[in-house]
Amino acid sequence: MNAEGGPTTDSTSNNPLLELRNASKAFGYVIALQNASLSAYAGSVVALVGDNGAGKSTLVKVLAGVHQMDSGELLIDGQPATVNNPSDAQQHGISTVFQDLALVEALDIAANVYLGRPIMRGVFVNRAAMLEGAADLLRDLRIRVPSVRVPVGSLSGGQRQGVAIARSVLQQGRVIVMDEPTAALGVRETRHVEEIISELRSRGRAVVLVSHDLELVFRMADRIEVLRLGAVQGVRETKATTREEIVGLITGLLNEPSSGHQEPVTIQVPA
Amino acid sequence: MTRHTDSSTISTAEAAGVDRATTGGLALGQRILVSPQFLLVATIVVFSAFVTLQSPQYLSVLNWTNILRNAVFIFIVGAFSTYVLVSAGLDLSVGSVFVVGALAVANLLFAGFPIWFAIAVAVAFGVAAGLVNGVLINYVQIPAFIVTLGMLYIARGLATFVTGGRPIAPLPDDFNAIGQGDIFGVPLLIVYAIVVGIVAHIILEYTPFGLALRAIGGNREAARVSGIDVRRVSVIIYMLSGASAAFAGMLMSARLGSGQPSVGTGFELQVISAVIIGGTSMFGGIGSVTGTALGALVLSILANGLVLLRIDPTLQNVMVGCIIIVAVAIDQFRRGRMFRALRR
Repeated sequence: MNAEGGPTTDSTSNNPLLELRNASKAFGYVIALQNASLSAYAGSVVALVGDNGAGKSTLVKVLAGVHQMDSGELLIDGQPATVNNPSDAQQHGISTVFQDLALVEALDIAANVYLGRPIMRGVFVNRAAMLEGAADLLRDLRIRVPSVRVPVGSLSGGQRQGVAIARSVLQQGRVIVMDEPTAALGVRETRHVEEIISELRSRGRAVVLVSHDLELVFRMADRIEVLRLGAVQGVRETKATTREEIVGLITGLLNEPSSGHQEPVTIQVPA
Repeated sequence: MTRHTDSSTISTAEAAGVDRATTGGLALGQRILVSPQFLLVATIVVFSAFVTLQSPQYLSVLNWTNILRNAVFIFIVGAFSTYVLVSAGLDLSVGSVFVVGALAVANLLFAGFPIWFAIAVAVAFGVAAGLVNGVLINYVQIPAFIVTLGMLYIARGLATFVTGGRPIAPLPDDFNAIGQGDIFGVPLLIVYAIVVGIVAHIILEYTPFGLALRAIGGNREAARVSGIDVRRVSVIIYMLSGASAAFAGMLMSARLGSGQPSVGTGFELQVISAVIIGGTSMFGGIGSVTGTALGALVLSILANGLVLLRIDPTLQNVMVGCIIIVAVAIDQFRRGRMFRALRR
């Protein structure tokens, strides 16, 4: 498979940039994730799909350091990594664009792009450098906004998405996790976000794309992983699968163990 | 969080195109007109002109020195209450912590402790009250309104109980000079307020701490996931608020030359009024120390001018009430114009 090479992954010869193994997470009695695994490769887009409550957002939050998994392993470049909070995740090169975007409406674009990591000059914030840096970055990613001095509260949904993505790129993220990046967007804005995703892939970033929108997933993803009830239902190369198969996996009509991925056999005991 | 009112996908895209031409929806002239600072300055000018016509001594240097000196206490505390409100918090305990500072310093001095020690302990009490507030709000997650309302009673109650609730006088002249002296004719109190104001302004506008506290007020969750230690920053803000209140209380004892248990009653509401009149939003994220300076000035000018006009002082409260409501109405209007998704 995938003999022509190209930018898409060849999971047999490449090592994953990020690998999540057998992650489990429960909130009280609700099991949100059950031995879920995920691999993301440089220069490749892996889509994470599934019904509401399948555990997609929980998995994203585990990667982002917002939630800690009860058991499981996270490997970055093959090395075990501990992510206890959002700063840890960023230090490991995992940048997340949240579904609710996590932007501060009252602050301008530049301040949002550098949120939590302002450029400094001595003990002071270097506003000029931040304005310049944000403008360069947005131009570079072809994200169109009126001015980086405009408060994010005045932007459209697509522009906000652009700002959120720009911030994740700025964090030197090698793995960029996007939670429903087009959920609130119109057709033209969705196209724009797709351009940005392509741009990120061509720059060698590993993109984890969480989406309900199968059209988007089939246009953008190299691989598709289906979650159902907190567990991995199957992983497919986009080229080798069909919409019907993915829908079958999402709804649980199809239930095939996917090769190369561990099925939940035993419940792992937390260390 | 955000409500997307666009029913058709095309209109969203079109709106994005239009928005590029106009930054934020209002032209520069309009933005100046609806900015609270402009309205405040206009109010001050019109009111001052009116009072001057009726009572020429209003414009005298002596009278303005009085106006400024009276604004000092509200402003010093208000500068840090601005931090609290911009971070979407609330501190109702500043009036009580004010009296804690006033009585602590007076009692320690009366007992013979050195001035520096008495001041340090008084301010430390304020820091401690703020620490308790901040920890209960951020780590025990009790609403700020409840915690600081409780602290309002606890701090004043303890201060009165421990000191016996009697006025303390006389205090050493060297200490009184701190609140009564002047330098080149400028009262020291005004000098302190200017220094505190400049430092508070610089921290809020030009440091990562200021940016972080604004982010927390604008969107606490966003601040948290971007790696800001939200709870730590918030606790520090309440500690600063408590420290400023105790410091101002200490200055009040120095100015009066005695420790008065009755000072600071209702002070928290004056402080919050000044902050809100100055354009700081109740909903967090927006606000400035310069605005609070103007807000404190307006309150002081009103108090002074209405006396000169021989208007019943109780009417002053009516005017303050009206100004607060107008200030918040303007804040809502600005948010509505500035943000597509109107909150609440």
